[in-house]
Formats: sequence, structure tokens, C-alpha cells
Amino acid sequence: MSKVYIYDGDFLSLLKLIYYLVNNGIKPDDIKDDMYFPSLLEEVINLSFDNQDEVIKIFVNSFSKDIFKTLYYVFLSGDGRKELIIYYFCLNAFKYGKSIIYRRNLKCVSEVLRISEYVNHENHKFKGFLRFRELENKVLYAEIEPVNNILYFLTIHFMKRLKNEYFIIKDVGRGILSIYDKNKFVIVREDEFLIATDSSSEEEEKIEELWKLFYNTIGISARKNDRCRMNFMPKRYWKHMLEVRDLL
Amino acid sequence: MELKEKLIILADSAKYDASCSSSGSNRTSGKDGIGNAVSYGICHSFASDGRCISLLKILMTNSCIYDCKYCLNRRSNNVRRAIFTPEEICEVTINFYRRNYIEGLFLSSGIVKSPDYTMELMIRAVSMLRNKYHFGGYIHAKAIPGASKRLLKDLGNLVDRLSANVELPTENGLKLLAPNKSQNEVSEIMDYVKNNQSRKYVPAGQSTQMIIGATGESDLEVIQRSENMYDNYKLKRVFYSAYIPVNKDNLLPALDKPPLVRENRLYQADWLLRYYNFKVSDLLNKDNPNFNILIDPKADYALRHLDEFPKEINKCSYYELLKVPGIGVVSAKRIMSSRRNFTIKFEDLKRMGIVLKRAKYFITCDGKYFIDGKFFRKDFIEANLVLEDRIPEIKSLEQLSLFNE
Repeated sequence: MSKVYIYDGDFLSLLKLIYYLVNNGIKPDDIKDDMYFPSLLEEVINLSFDNQDEVIKIFVNSFSKDIFKTLYYVFLSGDGRKELIIYYFCLNAFKYGKSIIYRRNLKCVSEVLRISEYVNHENHKFKGFLRFRELENKVLYAEIEPVNNILYFLTIHFMKRLKNEYFIIKDVGRGILSIYDKNKFVIVREDEFLIATDSSSEEEEKIEELWKLFYNTIGISARKNDRCRMNFMPKRYWKHMLEVRDLL
Repeated sequence: MELKEKLIILADSAKYDASCSSSGSNRTSGKDGIGNAVSYGICHSFASDGRCISLLKILMTNSCIYDCKYCLNRRSNNVRRAIFTPEEICEVTINFYRRNYIEGLFLSSGIVKSPDYTMELMIRAVSMLRNKYHFGGYIHAKAIPGASKRLLKDLGNLVDRLSANVELPTENGLKLLAPNKSQNEVSEIMDYVKNNQSRKYVPAGQSTQMIIGATGESDLEVIQRSENMYDNYKLKRVFYSAYIPVNKDNLLPALDKPPLVRENRLYQADWLLRYYNFKVSDLLNKDNPNFNILIDPKADYALRHLDEFPKEINKCSYYELLKVPGIGVVSAKRIMSSRRNFTIKFEDLKRMGIVLKRAKYFITCDGKYFIDGKFFRKDFIEANLVLEDRIPEIKSLEQLSLFNE
């Protein structure tokens, strides 16, 4: 039977579990969150820990703040093996210390860096590709379907940029929303917060038309290059981008 | 005229300007404001030609008293003319920005009445955007050659980037095709911006653009002009714009297609100058004044200096790494930080995320070449590099022929 260790689903409880496993020399076959549904051949081990806040300190001191942040990016990724990758990274990091980040010849390191760069990259792409629509009550509303869970970082970006607007961003795939009220934001599950999103403000249709006209005008037909456009803006983003969604 | 008609005319007239970057500035807005600028820049969409859309790129007006041969908006052309009011420019910018369509505004203009009059109108629009709408997003404005210093000062205090286009690589070309413009006027603007640049004045610096292929210059002349401008005016970027015929004129060449490969080679060479420590003389000379169309400038350099290669990844300096085709700034830094901790072998490079497609021909890892060392020969490497570049092309041809059958 392979042993699957279960954590509470948040980053800190994952770190607590990993710290326990490393300290006790236990090699897990897998690590999964508490929503995990095991197969018949798997033994699920659910450990509970006291509130061990010093674990964060231990991690930050043993590695560095940057590495800690990098691991958090991996944690937000949509990669199914992310917990195990973080475990192997930590196992080696306790051995090599801060220099772990330069040891890209180790698979756990190259994977951690690849995945965190991917999450960062996707977050960056959505800073540009996200489209808000103005609802009847002047609230700006956007839907996204990212591979990774970037809603938190993305909301921070828009909070700085549109500080005097009310806005809501919905991660459709995960069923979570971030809501900003001109002061602070919260992230909630969609069943905790019901909003009508089918209305549009008076101006909305006019502005959307202007944008589509601009988009269709600005391309130079003598330089038409679909492959280049798709390299920079893959089709998986198009569904929620009003200037190209009709081309799908 | 309706707003949407104006937008079509004035975006259509602005689209030939290549610059769309929104990087280099860290601006914030005040308490009641909207928007900020981030130094790394953000692309918001990509047009059907694959170019980034970051800014609302428009002319204030396409009316013009000048008659530049290559320009769609020259006086002698019979095209529809439009002018945006400052309110309209602000309204569209803010509405696009709130919905996250854009990173900011790119404002250029045809010349109405006089350079000063035109700049004053532009300043009115930009100043309204900054002061009435409290807009803190990115603004790139084009300076109008011939406008007075006082106006350059006012506009530069409002925008992130202020730039003037040299239009053509040489003074002779300019005289021939843009008889109303002079190189001096453009140089004066660049000089002024360079001398006054600060965190408050044109924080993202200046750029310029040249049209490639409308006049007979060699690549050497083009890239030398760029090197001079980078040295003399501290430009952030030179943009190259493959000439696209929009007017018929005896003075203009008749081209079927814009010279896009040439444009690409110039951009590649430009990067080598700015980030890879190359000099123009490394790339081109009088006997060899144009870039190889088949091979990129860095690989071309490597093939002509094969005695400097192969470089040992674990020993050579950072700048030597940068000379290796296929190794960029990110890869070179990655190699430098890794090899302090372990000896890099070929299989490690792959894991490190370093693309070997081109690099493998020019390096050794821990003394080993990627295949038998006897293949380290110019003819072998050259043939393979050309082939590697053509593989996507060949694959798409194969697919086409499959569909045809």
C-alpha cells in the first residue's frame, strides 16, 4: 500500500507536514490536500499538528524569503504533483541551505523553478489579457480561467491600479471570486457571494464596440501573421477577450 | 463626425509607428487618481500582425501641412481627415483603461498650422488627462520637430516617454522623401530630452523609429546610425519599420512585400549592441555591409570567428557565454550561478531550461562536444543551423501536402 499524507489544504499546513516528515525521516509516496479521494491501494494518513507558527521562521531562516515566496508560487500552481515536488525540494534545501536555488541539476530544483516561473508568467499574462466589463451598478467585473491559482496576486495588481473603482474578478474554473471595495479585498467562494453579472452599464456596449474597432484597425494587413499572434497570445486566453472571442 | 469614425481614421493613421512599449516607468497616481505604470511593461493584446498592443495608439489629427512621400497622411493625398478633441482623447483613454484594454496612451499627430500650434493642442489633451482625470498610467507622446523648447519642456513633464522619429536612416533619404523635415530638428529634440531627463521629466526615456527599405541604405549604415544615437542621445530603443508602400511615387521603390526578414535581422543586431556587448564592427564592415538573410547575426558572427569556439561552459566568462548563439542573458546568468555549485554537463543544461538547438554546436561541457568532435567544422554547423531554422517551415509544408492529397 502506498502511503498518502494529507494536509489541510493551505500552504502553512503543507509546510508543517513536510517539516514533520523531513524531521522524522519519512518518505511519503504522495501528499494531497483534504479534498483528496484515495484509491483502494492507498493508505491515507492524516496527522494533526498543534499550532506551530515557528515552522515559518524555520523555513525562512533555513532558506531565504525569496525561496519561501518561490515555494508559495509552486503551491498556487495547477500541477498535480506540486506537494511532492515541494517536499523533495525542502528535503534537499535542509541539506544544501540557500545555495539550493542554484542547483538546477537536481530535478526537484529545476521543477520548482520551472513551475514557479510558469505561475509568475501566467500572472503577468493576465495583467494584460484580463478584460473588465462595467455592470449596471458601475462595478467592474471580469472572468478568468487560469491554469494556476493566481487570483490573489492578480487582485493585488489591480487594487493598486484601479484603487478608486469597485471590482470583482472571478476565477471560473475554481469557483472563487475576489471582491475589492476601494479599500481592501477578500477572496470568497462563489456560493458565498451571489451577484447578477448579466447586466451592463449604459455606456458598456459603446465602449466595447470602440475597442473592437480599434483592435481591427491597428493590425497591418501587409504584415498579417497569425502564428506570431498565437505565440504571444495563445487561444486559451481568447474566450474572455472581447476583441478576439468571436474569432474562435 | 461620430467618435467611432474618428477612432478608425486616427488609429489607422497611427498604426505604422512600431513603438508600443510601456516599460521603463514607475508612476503612481494620487489619492483620487486612476492608474499606474510598471517598469516591466504589460502587453494587453496582440494584433492580427502579431504586434503587441499596449497603448491606445492614435494620432490627434491626420491633417498635415507636410508632404512626406511615404506617408499616408501627406498633404497631397485625398484621404478623410479627422481631429480628436482633448475631451474625446481623455474619454476613450480612461474608458479603455478602466476595462484593462490598455496600459495607457500613445499620442502622435499630423502637423496642423505649425509645429508649435500642434504641440500646444497635444499638451492640452495630455494635461487634461493627467490633471483633470488624474490619470497615472503610461503616456508616450511624439514630439513635433520644429516645435519650441518651451513646449518640449511642458510636454515632457507630463509624459513617460517623449520621442521623435528620425524616419529615414540617412540625411539624404530624408531630403528626398520628407523634404519638409530636417535631421537637425530631430537631433535638437533628442538632445533636449537627453539633457533634461530625470525621474520627473520623460522618466521612461526616449526612442525613435526608422523606415527600412524605402531608400537605398545598407544595413551597415542603418545600424551605425543606431549605434551613434544610442551613444549620443542615450536612447532606450530604436525601432525599425519595414517599409510598406501606401503611396505611389516615382521616388519610392515598388515592393511586393515589406522587407520583414531584414527588419528582423536589424532588431537582432540591435539587441546584440545593447545587451550582448557587440560592436557594429563585429557584425558588419564595408566588404560585408548587409546581414545574412539565412542566418541570424550572432550565429553569423560565430561562424566567421569559429577559432574562438567551442566555448567551455564551465570556464568561459559571462561575456564569452553571451557570444554563443542560442544563449541569451537569462541563460548566461543561469549558467554562471549554477557552475559555482556543480560542474555542468550536457544533460544538466536541458534540465536548467537552456535551449540547445543552436548552442550545442558552439560549446563544450566539461570538455565534451555534443557529438564526435570531428564534426566541429564550419560547413557542418552552417548547414545544420540553416536546417534547424527551416524545420518549422518544412513541417508546415508537409502538413499542407498531406491535406492536399
